[in-house]
Amino acid sequence: MEVWSLILNILLWFGLYVIVSLSLNVEYGYCGIPNFGKALSVIVGAVVVGGIVTRILMAIMGVQGDLVSGSSVVSGKITAIVQSDPVYGIALFVLCLVLAVIIGTIVGALFILPSARLREDYLAITLLAIAETFTMVCYYNPVIVGSYYGVSVPDVFAFVPSSMRYPFIVGVVLSLALLVYILLNRIVNTPYGRLLKAVRENEDVMKAYGRNVMTVRIKTMALGSGIASIAGVLLTFYTLRVQPDSFLNYGRTFWTFFPFLIILLGGAGNNRGVVLGSFIFATLWELVDFYKSNIVSALHLPVEAVWLEYILFGVLMLLILFYKPEGLIEEKPIMTEPIKRKAKKLKS
Amino acid sequence: MSVVEGALIYSNLLTLLALGLTLTYMTTAVPNFAQGSFAVFGSYVALTLWKIWGIHPYQSLPIAFVLGGLLGAGTYLIVLKPLIKRGANVVTLMIATLALDLILLGFRGIYAGILGSIIRQPCEMFMFTYLVKYVFGVPDILLVSFSVIVLTLVGLFLLLYKTKFGIALRASVENPMLSEIMGVDVEKTRLFSWFLSGALASMAGVLLPFKQEIVPATAELIIVSIFAASIVGGLSSIVGAILGGYIVGISESLVTYILSVLTNNAGLLVYGKVVSLVIIVITLLVAPSGLAGINWRKVIRWRSGR
Repeated sequence: MEVWSLILNILLWFGLYVIVSLSLNVEYGYCGIPNFGKALSVIVGAVVVGGIVTRILMAIMGVQGDLVSGSSVVSGKITAIVQSDPVYGIALFVLCLVLAVIIGTIVGALFILPSARLREDYLAITLLAIAETFTMVCYYNPVIVGSYYGVSVPDVFAFVPSSMRYPFIVGVVLSLALLVYILLNRIVNTPYGRLLKAVRENEDVMKAYGRNVMTVRIKTMALGSGIASIAGVLLTFYTLRVQPDSFLNYGRTFWTFFPFLIILLGGAGNNRGVVLGSFIFATLWELVDFYKSNIVSALHLPVEAVWLEYILFGVLMLLILFYKPEGLIEEKPIMTEPIKRKAKKLKS
Repeated sequence: MSVVEGALIYSNLLTLLALGLTLTYMTTAVPNFAQGSFAVFGSYVALTLWKIWGIHPYQSLPIAFVLGGLLGAGTYLIVLKPLIKRGANVVTLMIATLALDLILLGFRGIYAGILGSIIRQPCEMFMFTYLVKYVFGVPDILLVSFSVIVLTLVGLFLLLYKTKFGIALRASVENPMLSEIMGVDVEKTRLFSWFLSGALASMAGVLLPFKQEIVPATAELIIVSIFAASIVGGLSSIVGAILGGYIVGISESLVTYILSVLTNNAGLLVYGKVVSLVIIVITLLVAPSGLAGINWRKVIRWRSGR
């Protein structure tokens, strides 16, 4: 039974990290944008559910009061409705996804505007600063998503019997991850993907060819952020809460640093590598989590396992940068249909 | 502590941090995302010395200077130098400093747990404000932070402009290849800049708990202000970093204070980092190379309409 829940945990985080890391791969791996503010788009997904959809539901159900207390009342009511009417729950889930993708896309495009013309280092600093500031504002401002108290979210999967709820959510996450994989593979294995790689390799040459690097960057960030906000929505419906203090303490590590780790581990600019990287990372993380009481008691120290995990994965990142910067699966040239035909002709 | 005094203390500390960040950026061209962790490292050095041996944080400044310097130098030797040798690009180096930041966060968490079990007090959050004394109505932390910054600047000036090593350092910033041909050991100057960066950050960290509480997220939040200060200064100018530190530090405190008085809403006081972010964005849009990059003669000529 314990092993079963371990497997489910691994699959859940695998799916979530596939979505976020693939979206970061388009930005960083293909287009070369060092998006050190990746966490922002995941947080936007959570905020859309906790701060916008919950408000809409409160207005529809006629629940009075502030967001913190109102959200728990309205979640209870909606969860009761969903229990008897699965269609309502699924519709609400899809609505949240669509809304999060739209808002995530807009936020992504706006997010890079001040820095779209800048060099890599300035770009990274600005993106990180914007994400951290937004996180901090969410934490301090109770109007957005309830500040310290957080917001309750209705259980859109309440129609599933509670013993099957977790496997069901894992299934939803994995199918969305597959969808994102197929979609992004379609998008990058085109001349557009080659354009992104060209911008990454040499901006000046692309400018000379008449391409506007700024527009390419804005489009890419919009695409990446829109996709990553799906992960925020999924995470929210899994935990059934939106907690801004967890954004502050875990946001940057979990949704910026670890996706970078995954991409560099699997291989940048290559979607299969990212999937492999996500799987290795999720497995390692959950195994450490599974055996953490053994590890901590073996060390005879009053330590929380999460700190050890930070050190472990930080060191892993450095080791990858030192010894295998190209990742486990190396990047290959993009083969669009016309090129494949040409290659065949040349062979024969 | 009045608002102006608090703003000045904060600006002094921010200037120390921005100076360190700028120094390493000038020599190695890497924005150090672990600068906030370097500072909090100093805070923990001070906390340990105070709680276990009863050494007052002001007296622990030299110890923190040396230990922080070793941390900075170690960062360069262990993490960055091997990567630079392998021809890593700037993004790789930035990711490496992010990784280091996470490792330091992990060690900090473990250390806070161990220290907490030794002194039987939680150490995840702490402040030194109860240690502040008033000299002629002025909080002594204001005087101490000013003396630290004056000593640092005088020392830095003497070093950079009056010694051979300083000339070598400046030359290696201007043109590393040419200065290497002239016999300057560029490696040594880089190592030194990282030592100094860590040392200055660590001293700022010792004094930071006198002004604000140290929490697990402190390092991640203060990095926004440090970058803001350095970017305003142009990221590669020491004078710029000093100006940037004061501009950002004072506006973070005073802008939020004035707004909160005007709107009669004390809740606005916590949004200092938003001011930093706005300053970053305005600088990048108007003068991407910062105050140091502006051609002031041109501006004056344009102002007087000639």
